Amino acid sequence: MDNLNWLFWGYAVGWTLIFLYLFQIGRREATLRRKVADLQAMMEEKWKQ
Amino acid sequence: MRAFDESPAIPLWLGLPALAAMLGALYMIFIWVPPEATMGNVQRIFYFHVPAAAVAFTASFVGGIAAILYLIKRDGRYDDLSLAANESVVVFQAVNIIMGIMWAKPIWGIWWTWDARLTSSFLQVCIYAAYLVLRRAAPVDGRAAICAVVSILGMADVPLIYMSNRLFRTQHPSPVMGGGEGSGLAPQIGITLGAGMVAMFLLWWCVVRLRRRIARLDRSLEDLTRRTHELVEERM
Repeated sequence: MDNLNWLFWGYAVGWTLIFLYLFQIGRREATLRRKVADLQAMMEEKWKQ
Repeated sequence: MRAFDESPAIPLWLGLPALAAMLGALYMIFIWVPPEATMGNVQRIFYFHVPAAAVAFTASFVGGIAAILYLIKRDGRYDDLSLAANESVVVFQAVNIIMGIMWAKPIWGIWWTWDARLTSSFLQVCIYAAYLVLRRAAPVDGRAAICAVVSILGMADVPLIYMSNRLFRTQHPSPVMGGGEGSGLAPQIGITLGAGMVAMFLLWWCVVRLRRRIARLDRSLEDLTRRTHELVEERM
């Protein structure tokens, strides 16, 4: 039982890293989607003009 | 017409089983499987430490094979997959190393040692980190081809890591699976490791799908920006 804190920190650091990465790429995907949609709408608008 | 796929990058048919597998694996690791006889509770790190390494190896092969296919076919979709897999190598190999360090301190009494297994694993993180830096620094035209070469070099490190504790005397434990006579796992430990593997591979699949989507969006954005400039120049 004496090494439980190492077990806790091992999982805590490992999982935090994975989920931070997942969260970061999730946000990046949402931002890029919005940027591409905006740019595409702008292009369509310009094309109509 | 949309320049990107509007469906979620992580669909329910993948996200839900990944979540269920993760919860199931955590239950087995912390409740179902008994502590190992000599190391005690800290040995439970093994159930995600080994799957993280297996995922990093697989990602490295996926990235390398996609890079070879890109060099043959010059199709940007292979480059997207290669980038997604290679970035995941850095994350999962880093998780593998960090969890290994957390196990090493109470068991070995040291955080780190430069033995063949640990050094080759660290080298893999460095190679893929270099790949990511190069990805940002290389000129857009030749970027995919230059990065494909680094990706293939990175893949070549995997057999070296795998064989390191078979060919050399290392501080890292000898192989517990496929290590010859006397190696092997107790049934409960083997089943729990299997559950950890399933959970980690499903999570990795989610990560690669999402990262590949970003790579595609990046390409769409580059393409749209170039077309916008051309359109503005035409009008002037």
